[in-house]
Amino acid sequence: MFYLDIIKRALRNLLSSKARTILTALAIAVGTFALTLTLGASNGAQDYAQNIVKTNFDPSELFVSKDSGLFKSQDASTPQLYDPSYGSVTTFGGQTRQIKMLDNSDIQKLAQIKGVSWAQPSINVSLQYLTRDDSNKYIGTLTTYNPYQNPTLLAGKIPSQLQDNTLILPEGYLSALGFLNAQSAINQTVKLSVLNQGASNIIPGATKSQVSNFKIIAVYKTPNTAISAATSLNLYASLGSVENLNNFIYQGTSNYQKYLEAVVKVTDGTNATKLNDVENLIKAQGYGVQSVVDTEKTITQIISVIEGIVTVFGIIAIIASVFGVVNTMYISVLQRTREIGLMKALGMHRKDISRLFRIEAGLIGLLGGLIGSILAIIGGTALNPVISSKLGLGDSKLLIFKFSQVGLLIIALIIIGIIAGLLPARKAAHLDPIEALRTE
Amino acid sequence: MNKMIEVKNLTKIYGKKDNKFTALNDVSLKIKSNSTVSIIGKSGSGKSTLMHIMSGLDEPTSGSVVIADKNIFEMSERKIDSFRANEMSFVFQSFFIEANATCLQNVMLPLEIARVSITKRKKLALDALRAVELEDKANVKAGTLSGGQKQRLAVARAIVNKPSILFADEPTGNLDSVTGDKIMNLIFSLNKKLGCTVILVTHDNDLAKQTDMRIRLKDGKIESIDEGKK
Repeated sequence: MFYLDIIKRALRNLLSSKARTILTALAIAVGTFALTLTLGASNGAQDYAQNIVKTNFDPSELFVSKDSGLFKSQDASTPQLYDPSYGSVTTFGGQTRQIKMLDNSDIQKLAQIKGVSWAQPSINVSLQYLTRDDSNKYIGTLTTYNPYQNPTLLAGKIPSQLQDNTLILPEGYLSALGFLNAQSAINQTVKLSVLNQGASNIIPGATKSQVSNFKIIAVYKTPNTAISAATSLNLYASLGSVENLNNFIYQGTSNYQKYLEAVVKVTDGTNATKLNDVENLIKAQGYGVQSVVDTEKTITQIISVIEGIVTVFGIIAIIASVFGVVNTMYISVLQRTREIGLMKALGMHRKDISRLFRIEAGLIGLLGGLIGSILAIIGGTALNPVISSKLGLGDSKLLIFKFSQVGLLIIALIIIGIIAGLLPARKAAHLDPIEALRTE
Repeated sequence: MNKMIEVKNLTKIYGKKDNKFTALNDVSLKIKSNSTVSIIGKSGSGKSTLMHIMSGLDEPTSGSVVIADKNIFEMSERKIDSFRANEMSFVFQSFFIEANATCLQNVMLPLEIARVSITKRKKLALDALRAVELEDKANVKAGTLSGGQKQRLAVARAIVNKPSILFADEPTGNLDSVTGDKIMNLIFSLNKKLGCTVILVTHDNDLAKQTDMRIRLKDGKIESIDEGKK
């Protein structure tokens, strides 16, 4: 029998038992639905993570730490020996740790490594407060402006060389600081106060703070792709300004001019080989290094775990539905015993009979795959705007469906269906034609 | 080609040891090509077993069936299947039609199995339906036909591949006498028209009398062979 004839016959048989075929296919559709949504969510999450990384980090930059364990999770369940060479004890990620800090000699050393364009400390200054003359005081974080971030400006302009004591203000502070709109904030002055942490080391209980005036030169729009809600309120200033405030905070402490991380710009760092070469050179000097790709991996790690769990449930649903296909096909063989006998009497080869039942099972897999994936795509596409707005993803979509993936999933389901049909097909192929023809 | 059927020392034993049952015991006979033959006998006499073995659907315990100078049991399974698809056809008492398929689709089944090209199939199937006067039912679901029409459809399916041998196992058993006569007349006329050998398994002595050769079986042995119409 020609393949096409077998397929046509298989289709006709499935259509003649519509209810049974659809019910069996629906069982497969449940698993397919879950898997299609998982794939869509995975694509969406990957896309979102890539977007976050792309808009927040320069791929040609590397983050370097003195402590190579900084970028790894450490076993905190056993006591760690105190090491005086490490400097201060720090609370990091909720646990007390000793972290080796970088100093200016490290920064210079990093800057001299072959292939490094520049190196600078990565500093986040925790402000005591920021305020204007007639407004409340607010806490805030000042960080070094990186031109790569290229924020969307609501007002003002960012010069190529940021001057000291100028500030790029996030949209979120506008009304808090009493500005009517972004434009009205330009060229206005805000006061940034920092608290020296070493003062109490000299006179117990003493405090020493410094208030600096910063001129607002630009206001940036709250980004949809901020790493966290808190970072969407970061204030940006020049490296010199940030260093000045940071030095004041840590003057008189063991952390003075010590840095957790440095940023290293690699010449032609968008070239993966060059980036990797520099990464290895830095590692060889005993530093810890993390590239943007590593950062992306960290972000997507949690997403992958959740995806894995949903995928397992989807696969379990499909495995359960396979038994449904086996059962349906066995019933079909029993119901069509006489038909099988007739086909054998008319000279149909055993292999063709087996093929017929395997194709029927494969078609059930195809139908289940189509129903499940189409429902998931329709439902997901309809719900995308709602989900994105609830999760604050902005223009990003949580569910992104790729037809190539859905196609592969459906092909996999056809193969699973064919495998499920193997035993019933074997039974059909080995039926004794005489017994089959005698069946009432 | 000489399509004479020669059955040599055919024995078929079912079961083992105490449960042994000899369905056919050293049966030998020759059937001329293009003739009509009836195999008659009581239930359990071995009629259907003989037909099944002659058609290659069952294997003998010993002996051979030679058709067109070939021992069909020396062929591979695939070759026997192909031989059956191209040279043999069947009409059964229970029609065995596919109720959900159209008459045309039912008749095309042997052609599909024999891998006849799609373009030729429809024409051959319509010719066969015309021969049994069911051309107007070509696109009707077979399940809606009457008993007589169903058996005519089964005959159309049996002749569509222009077989050398047509096996008919109690073809009138489920039909009233008038319809049964019509079906038999149809089969005999096709024997003349197509020149195929018709091997008829029946209880009906009157029907058997219309065939060129009558093989009477009793307890798995040939009781008598009569030739010439009575």
